[in-house]
Amino acid sequence: MKRRLQPGIIIAYVILGLVLLYTITPFLWMIFTSLKTDQEAVAIPPTLWPQEPTIEAYIQILIWGNFPIWFLNSTIISLGTALFSTMIGSFAGYGFSRFGFRGRATLIGIILASQMLPGVLLVGPYFKMLSTVGLYNTYPGLILAFTAITLPFSTWMLKGFIDSVPEELDDAAKIDGCTPLGAYLKVILPLIAPGMVATVIFAFLLAWGDLLWVLVLTSGEKMTTVTLGLTRLVTQFRIIWPQLMAGSMIGALPPLILYLLLQNYLVEGMTAGAVKE
Amino acid sequence: MPALLMLVLVLGFPIVVAVVNSLSLPDGGWTLENYAKLPQDSRFRNSLVVTFIFVGGTVLLHLIVGFIIALALNASVKGKRFFRVVAILPWAVPDVISGLMWRFMYNPTAGIINRVLLSLGVINTYVEWLGDSDLALPSVIFADVWRGYPFVMLILLAGLQAIPGEQYEAAKVDGASTIQEFRHITIPNMRGMILIAVALDTIWQFRRFGLVFNMTAGGPGNVTEILSLYVYKQYFRYFNFEYAAAIAIVLAIIMLLLSLPYVRAMVRRL
Repeated sequence: MKRRLQPGIIIAYVILGLVLLYTITPFLWMIFTSLKTDQEAVAIPPTLWPQEPTIEAYIQILIWGNFPIWFLNSTIISLGTALFSTMIGSFAGYGFSRFGFRGRATLIGIILASQMLPGVLLVGPYFKMLSTVGLYNTYPGLILAFTAITLPFSTWMLKGFIDSVPEELDDAAKIDGCTPLGAYLKVILPLIAPGMVATVIFAFLLAWGDLLWVLVLTSGEKMTTVTLGLTRLVTQFRIIWPQLMAGSMIGALPPLILYLLLQNYLVEGMTAGAVKE
Repeated sequence: MPALLMLVLVLGFPIVVAVVNSLSLPDGGWTLENYAKLPQDSRFRNSLVVTFIFVGGTVLLHLIVGFIIALALNASVKGKRFFRVVAILPWAVPDVISGLMWRFMYNPTAGIINRVLLSLGVINTYVEWLGDSDLALPSVIFADVWRGYPFVMLILLAGLQAIPGEQYEAAKVDGASTIQEFRHITIPNMRGMILIAVALDTIWQFRRFGLVFNMTAGGPGNVTEILSLYVYKQYFRYFNFEYAAAIAIVLAIIMLLLSLPYVRAMVRRL
């Protein structure tokens, strides 16, 4: 039986070898380019690895450019969105999971369906609303807007996590005299802590990677995020590729690290309970 | 339920605003004109076609590539964890940044793609991958395959691992070939997972924005102008707020209709 499997295993190794090449090449190209001089990056024909490796591009964007501000903005906005959206999502998820009320199924359907809404449907109204109330180009405005995108996901994910906590536990707490809120804080919250972390990170990543909303809801450098800043660099007349790739590299690092640390949680979250049969 | 109120505030209210906008004239008053204009707008029709090619092409290729890799990862190979981590990497990159990475790889003179293809003799001149109206859309789709296959792969891998091993053993006893096993055990067992992966991926792909924005911004001409880009331009380049809202609503309706079976299946399971 072992012998019969052999050809299959060889094919599997060949495929995985190709996958390695396919996935890694763009990363290597980005890193190599970021270490080249401006001239070398656009040399014809291009060099594969940097002939005279230099960190000039990193110095340029980190010290002379606005990149640190972009990074700070991305961090504040993504973290704010993640915490806000998870907090509200956990209350909503608790409600959906524990209280039977009229129209519950309909509401859950609406929440699920609202994940299917395109962002471009909401940006126009948000642009108008935030301008009207004076939150255009501010952190709170952006966090509120991002929450519109992340909240349905957060609610759905957290509902799934809360569902997995046996209801007898909060009943026991209620018998001991806890209010529903008390039961939630004392019993459920500690048990779904890993799920909360996954939800926070998921919302963080959604916000970190976004371009559409910051494009629409900010102006000038003050609120520029990493994604928006890089986009501005690439629409300039003269594109300086080593700097752009250095910025891309640093901009991709936080999500890369978070994904690597938490890949199992995130897959579960992304598929939002769909995978659990 | 303050949490529900919050949901209504951040989602419900903007949707109402969008609907109202789409039914308004720029100077006030109600109209259906914004919708009536759509069939005559050749750029909208083009955008609709481009969107379906983009979504259809990427979802299909994500599925094929993702399935092949999931099968390879499910075989009894060494270093499984390592390969799995590597295979997920592209998914971790924000699509805005993967767009930039691929844009430079596609660069006609300084990019690695032309360089490799030239030295292999596949092409003999510099190809303008993103500047050629026939090649731009396939090139964007190809770049998105790199970005998007890991998600599908992960769902399918979870499905493959859940297939009971006894089924394969029984098939072996009956002398089934690998292809027969695949057709009669793997595929039937995976049907549900494939549907879930395709449904979720389709939704994500209809929303895709940053990747295309940074690779081509819809060009050359409008050959890569997916609907999300067209709506954005109608809003913030031409400032046709009412018309843009109407297009966005049409896009939303398409997406809701496509995801209805999925949503219904999920709610029924509650």
